[in-house]
Amino acid sequence: MLAWLARPENAKPIGLIIFFVTFCLIVWWVYAGDKKRAARMEEPKNIPFLDDDLDQETKDKSNG
Amino acid sequence: MKFSHEILETNAGILLIGTMIAISIGGLVEITPLFLIKDTVEDVPGVRPYTPLESRGRDIFVREGCYTCHSQMIRPFRDEQLRYGHYSLAAESKYDHPFQWGSKRTGPDLARVGGKYSNEWHVQHLNQPTSVVPESVMPNYPWLAKTPLDYSDVADRLRALRTVGVPYSASEAEYQANVKQFGAEVANTLRIDKAQENLVAQAQAGNYDGDRSFVSEADALIAYLQVLGTMVDFSKVKPEDLVKYR
Amino acid sequence: MAASNPAAGEQYDYEIIKKFTVMAIVWAVVGMFVGVYIASELAWPFLNFDIPYITFGRFRPVHTGAVIFGFGGSALFATSYYVVQRTCQARLWGGGLIPFTFWGWQAVIVLAALSYVNGYSQGREYAEMEWPIDILVEIVWVSYMAVFIGTLMKRKQPHIYVANWFYLSFLLATALLHTFNNLAVPVGLFSMKSYSLFAGAQDAMTQWWYGHNAVGFFLTAAFLGMMYYFVPKHAGRPVYSYRLSIVHFWALSFMYMWVGTHHLHWTALPDWASTLGATFSIMLLLPSWGGMINGIMTLSGAWDKLRTDYVMRFMIVALSFYGMSTFEGPLMSLKDVNALSHYTDWTVGHVHSGALGWVAMISFGSLYHMMPRLWNTKLYSDKLVGVHFWLATIGVLLYITAMWISGISQGLMWRAFDDFGNLQYSFVESVAAMHPFYAMRAIGGMFFLSGMCVMAFNAYMTIRQGVREANLVGQTAGAAA
Repeated sequence: MLAWLARPENAKPIGLIIFFVTFCLIVWWVYAGDKKRAARMEEPKNIPFLDDDLDQETKDKSNG
Repeated sequence: MKFSHEILETNAGILLIGTMIAISIGGLVEITPLFLIKDTVEDVPGVRPYTPLESRGRDIFVREGCYTCHSQMIRPFRDEQLRYGHYSLAAESKYDHPFQWGSKRTGPDLARVGGKYSNEWHVQHLNQPTSVVPESVMPNYPWLAKTPLDYSDVADRLRALRTVGVPYSASEAEYQANVKQFGAEVANTLRIDKAQENLVAQAQAGNYDGDRSFVSEADALIAYLQVLGTMVDFSKVKPEDLVKYR
Repeated sequence: MAASNPAAGEQYDYEIIKKFTVMAIVWAVVGMFVGVYIASELAWPFLNFDIPYITFGRFRPVHTGAVIFGFGGSALFATSYYVVQRTCQARLWGGGLIPFTFWGWQAVIVLAALSYVNGYSQGREYAEMEWPIDILVEIVWVSYMAVFIGTLMKRKQPHIYVANWFYLSFLLATALLHTFNNLAVPVGLFSMKSYSLFAGAQDAMTQWWYGHNAVGFFLTAAFLGMMYYFVPKHAGRPVYSYRLSIVHFWALSFMYMWVGTHHLHWTALPDWASTLGATFSIMLLLPSWGGMINGIMTLSGAWDKLRTDYVMRFMIVALSFYGMSTFEGPLMSLKDVNALSHYTDWTVGHVHSGALGWVAMISFGSLYHMMPRLWNTKLYSDKLVGVHFWLATIGVLLYITAMWISGISQGLMWRAFDDFGNLQYSFVESVAAMHPFYAMRAIGGMFFLSGMCVMAFNAYMTIRQGVREANLVGQTAGAAA
C-alpha cells in the first residue's frame, strides 16, 4: 500500500481521491444540519447592507 | 464540541491560519519532491556550465526579453523533432539560472539553434531580421554589434552563479574537481580568476560578429546562441537511456 | 447597527481609497496603451523603430506590469480598503502605514517599468522585477497585510464577511508566491543583476507555480472578493447563497495552488507533476462555476436592472467571462489539447478573456459603483458608462476571436505533414499567416483602450463635480456661520 502511494505515476488517482474526499467533506460540513443552522449560516450575507448611507441611495435614484 | 464554520468566520486569526494551510498544501506536494527526488535532473554526459562569454550572452538574451517570443523547450512530438531536433532533456538546462523555457513561440524554438546557422547569418539576422527572413516580425537589434560588451564584472557574475550552484571554480580544489568532471579544457573556462581573460580569448578566437577590434554584445549573444542544444551528443546516447532522462 | 450614516467619509478613511482609485484608472490607460502598442509591433514591426527601450521584448513586461500590478493592484488596494472598512464597520488601522502602501506601491510600478525599458529583467514572466524592487514589493506587501488584518482585528461587526476571506487569501498567497519565486543571488550590492536560486526544471516549476497562482490569487481570488461585495451591494440584494460562497472559498483556496504545472506539459518536467496539475485544473471547474452561479443568481428577481444599469451589466458580463475562462482553462490543461494550444496565441487569447473580460470588467463595475460614494456626488454621465461598456465588450470579443483563430491555426500549421511525411509549412509561413489576426487583435485592443479613455474622462468629470459640490457646501456652511 505505502509502496503504491509512493510511486509518482499514481499521483493522478491519489490527487483525485484527496480532492474528492476533501470536497465532499467541505460540502457536507457546510450543508449538514437543520434549517436553523442553515438560516444561521446564511445570515451574514446581509452585512454589506448594515452601513447603508441613505442619502446616497436617494442620490442614485434621482439619477437613474 | 462540534467545529462549526462560525469559528472561522468570527476569528481573524483562525481564518488566517486555516487559509494558509489550504493554500500551502498544493505547492508543497508538487514542489518538494522535485527537489528531493534524485532523478528529476539526471546527469547527461556533455552538459557543462556556460563559458564566461556565453554566460554574458545569456544575460543579454534575458535583458532583451527574447523569452517573450522564443521558447527553449522542444517537446517529444514528431513535428517538433523534425523542425527543431531532439526533444529537450531536463539536464540540458540544469545550469540555467533562470530557466528560459518560455511560453510562447511568436518566433521559432531556440533550444537547438546552435550550429544551425552561420555566425554571419546571425549577425545579419540580429541587425535586420527581414534581410534574411523577409516575413519576420522580429525587431531589429542593430545596437548589439555596435555596443562594446561590458565584461568588467564578469567574475562577480560567475561568483553569483557559483553561489547558486553552478560549478565555476574559485579555488584550486574546485578547479581539479572540474577537470575530473568536465575535462581540462572545459575546466579552464570555468575558472573565475581567469574569467575576463577567457572571455576575450573566446571572442577573439570565435570572431562571432566578424569584427575583432572589440568584443561586442553581439559576440556574446551569438556565442550563446551557437552553443544552445549542442552540448549533448545524441549519437552517443542510447534511446533507452533517454526514457530515463525524461 | 449603523442605520443612516451621512458622514461616511469621516467614519471611514476614504482618502487612501480615492488615491488608489485614481491611480487604477491612470495605470489602466497607460498599461493598455502599451499593450496596444506591442500588439501593433507584432502586426507592423517597423513600430519597434530600432529603439532598444521600446522593442517588444522589453516593452512587454511594461504592459503586463502596468495592467496587472498597476491597474489590477491599485484597484484591489482601493476596493479591499473600501470593503474591509464598510463590512467591518471600522476605520482603517495602520496610521502612517496606510499612505506608505500607496506611495510604495506606485514607486514599485514606476521603478519596474523604468527598469524593464532599460533592460533589467529577471527573465521570469510576470515577475521580471529585479531584486531591489522585489524587496520593496515585499515591504509594501507586508504593510498592506498589516493594514488589512489590523482593520479586521478591530472590526465592530463580529462576523467577517466573505469578501474579506477572498482578499485575505489573496494577501497571503501573493506574499508566499512573491517570496519564493524571487529567491535570487545578486551579482553585487550595487548591481541590478541577480541570478535565480533555482535552475532548469526546478526553476520552471517554481516560476509556473508562481505564474499560475498570480492568476489564481491575484487575478481571481481577489477579484472574487470584489465580486462578493460589489455585486450584491449594487444589486441591492444579498448574495444568492452564503453557504455556496463558503464552499467556493475553501475549494478554490485549496485547489488553485496545485494547478501551475499544467503550463509545463510535455516538457522536461517529470510527467507526474504536470498530470497532477491538469487533474486539479479540471476539478477547479466545480468551485469556479459555483462562484459564477452564485454571483449571477444574486440578480435573480431583479433582472430588469440589467436593462437600465450599465454598471450592473459590467459586473454580470464579467461573471460570464469568468465562467467562460474557467471552462476554457481546464480544457487547455488537458494534455492533448495542450499539445496543440501551448506556445500559440490561444494562450494569449485565454489570458485576455480572463484579464479583460473578467478582471477589468469587474473592476470597472466596482470603480463606477465606488466613485460617486467616495466623492459624495453622482456619476457625471451614465450614458458614457454605456459607451464604455460597448467599446469594452466589442474590444474583448475582437481580441479573443483573433487569438482563437491565430492560435489554433498556428498549432495546426506547425504539426501539418505533407503526403511524403515532411513538414508542410516552414515556421515563417505560420508567422506570415498570422498577420491579419495580429492586426485584428491590435484593433480589438484599441477598442478596449478607447473605452478606458472614456472611463478616465467620466471619472475626471465626476471627481471635479464632487469637489465643486463639496466646496459649495463648505461655502454655504461658512456663510451661514
